[in-house]
Amino acid sequence: MKEPRFDNLREEEREWIDALLNDEIDEPSFNELQQRLLQRPELRTVVRRSLALHHELQERAAETSDDSLHSWNEAAPHPEPDKIVPISATNDFRRFLPIAIAASLAFVFGLLFMSATNRDETNGSLAQTRPQTPPEDPEASAEGFAVVRNLFEARWPADQKALGEGESLGAETLRLEAGVAEIQFYSGATMVVEGPAEIAFKSAWEATCLEGAVRMRVPPAARGFRLHGPETEIVDLGTEFGLQVRDGAAHVEVIDGEISFKHRAEPERLVRKGGAWTLPVDANAQPGNQGQIAFPDAGNFSALAANRRRADFERWTRHRDTLAAKPDVIAYYTFDRVDPAALLASVAEPHNPELDGAVVLAETTAGRWPGMKQALEFRRPGSRVRVRIPGEFSAFTFAAWVRIDSLDRRYNALFMGDGYETGEPHWQIRDDGKLMLSVMVDDTRPNPHHAQDAGFHRVYYSPPIWEQSMSGQWMHLTSVFDPQRRQVTHHANGKRVSVQEIEEDYLIDTLRIGNGEIGNWGEPFRETPWFAIRNLNGRIDELVILDAALSESDIAQLYEDSRAGRP
Amino acid sequence: MSEPDSNTRDEDARYEAFVRLFAHHEAELRRFAGSFLPSWGDVDELMQRAALAMWRKFEQFDQDSQFIKWACVVTRFEALAYRRKMARDRHVFREDVLELMAEEAAEELEQRSAERDALESCLLAMPEKQRTFVMLAYTPGVKIKELAEEAGATSAAFYMRLKRLRSQLLECVEAKTLQAKETR
Repeated sequence: MKEPRFDNLREEEREWIDALLNDEIDEPSFNELQQRLLQRPELRTVVRRSLALHHELQERAAETSDDSLHSWNEAAPHPEPDKIVPISATNDFRRFLPIAIAASLAFVFGLLFMSATNRDETNGSLAQTRPQTPPEDPEASAEGFAVVRNLFEARWPADQKALGEGESLGAETLRLEAGVAEIQFYSGATMVVEGPAEIAFKSAWEATCLEGAVRMRVPPAARGFRLHGPETEIVDLGTEFGLQVRDGAAHVEVIDGEISFKHRAEPERLVRKGGAWTLPVDANAQPGNQGQIAFPDAGNFSALAANRRRADFERWTRHRDTLAAKPDVIAYYTFDRVDPAALLASVAEPHNPELDGAVVLAETTAGRWPGMKQALEFRRPGSRVRVRIPGEFSAFTFAAWVRIDSLDRRYNALFMGDGYETGEPHWQIRDDGKLMLSVMVDDTRPNPHHAQDAGFHRVYYSPPIWEQSMSGQWMHLTSVFDPQRRQVTHHANGKRVSVQEIEEDYLIDTLRIGNGEIGNWGEPFRETPWFAIRNLNGRIDELVILDAALSESDIAQLYEDSRAGRP
Repeated sequence: MSEPDSNTRDEDARYEAFVRLFAHHEAELRRFAGSFLPSWGDVDELMQRAALAMWRKFEQFDQDSQFIKWACVVTRFEALAYRRKMARDRHVFREDVLELMAEEAAEELEQRSAERDALESCLLAMPEKQRTFVMLAYTPGVKIKELAEEAGATSAAFYMRLKRLRSQLLECVEAKTLQAKETR
């Protein structure tokens, strides 16, 4: 027997396999192929390998297909799968074919008719399904080597993006106008900076103070951390020192432990606790007196930060009470009190016990204000909060504070209607960081694109709003299904990231929830168990569902009112 | 917190154990099912049915044995049962062929995952244009005929190209995996 390779098969067998994969094999050939399969083990082996490869390619293409193409596919009318499009329909056909495919084809064939099709009137529908804002600045989400641990009354220059607590820092220059920031390097070193300051970050082991006062605390594991002044390189040999740079003139003091520094072309100097040096740009280093400068004090700072957090939390409780009393709130969960019977109360006023959720396997853990507020963690595959929300609604706004540790599932649930029946929502995040919102339009009507996919619906995706370097950060996520304005919007941290039109065919204005789940997808064994493992590997601290379509400014306000770390 | 009653707890634990095992082996099982079912839709449908069947029979699963072996057996039985109900407009192997294919496929799980890894590097080694073409041809909802018409090419030319690239990929995968086997 020859080795079972495609190349070793007979000519007709290779043809059959190809026709089978293209779904174009005729009955006689299919029968012959089957007969041959019974006789020839090597043919069976190659057919299995070919089918596996074929499906693997299908899966890959479905996952990696360009998203405008993807959303188009889910949104647009499509000819019946097996109906052959008549030649005379070619012109009409243009309307069906997404511009994205045209563009790819142009690429494949080296024909550049992209610019021509852009003027095509049919382009409009595609443009509307595209997110209107580009994905977040890649710089901001790049893998970093330090993280903003605390901020106290921080003010940023107008031309610089305001940093938030938990944000990671890469090779970049940070300018702080006023206030204090505590930066934790991944090496273990901590820097407390007081504005006005300008610091350039180089790595987890190196930074430059261009302006301002910093205090470094370097534990044994981060010994060797280097901090540069205008003309000086300081190497920390353990514990704590301060450096101030004002108008180019630097001053260093060793608070505890020791450092070595090299100023201009002078030999390296070792300085112990209590030592202080002045470091002019244009002259040699001179011994100075300690205590000349008030370096930001980490101890003081944490006390201030704790006070600030308490004030922040109290402000949030006021926000909660205001929000809970709003008439269009359908249900509101704050996860901070789970009673002994594992019930999670909706805090919406007046309290309706019907809306209380049942906590299954999800664990209580620290929320956004550790020690003051709890959250629920949905790390275990079975974890979820089951809820039952009766009623009919005319719009949906879902808003939540979420801390994602990683997106382990293809789809990671935020809030999911159980059976995904007509009018029910699915709110989730795909593993590429895109927010997804969909509402079942008609569960009795087949999905034109996936025969296996239950019912007629469309998924509205945002651009990616999360990636691995944001692991562990709290984020505010909001998605709005607005039948009246016929649009779906997604928002991250109060900013709108996408707007998509709800097309006529996909319009539904009687919305329901019924049984549903927070952090997973419910009743998995009734229909599609394997598909239902959608637990969110992370925490949820707050979730509100409204029977209203909040506007962009409403959502910006909601974010401002509920967030931590405000100036 | 008061203790939930022990039935609920047992059920939770069993559920948890099942979900863990299933999630861990899902991709492998899918590749298994995909090696004897030509239609992707059928693979989807079978996976749903098989998962349901596994959960129903999970009590019978011997915790000391290999989950994946057991899962393949359940999936094979489900495939045969499902075969009778499958849509007639799709190509499905007749019962004796299906049974033989599935039985042998259960012995090829390692081979399948090696092929998957090989495909990854084979795709990467392909010139960009060719890779784009293959991915486009495989994009859900895209029909070769339609693509060809839109591009003003004949669908025969498209099929030829797809056929050539696909067999190129298959041969690349074979070269990588079968070679690896020989040198082991």
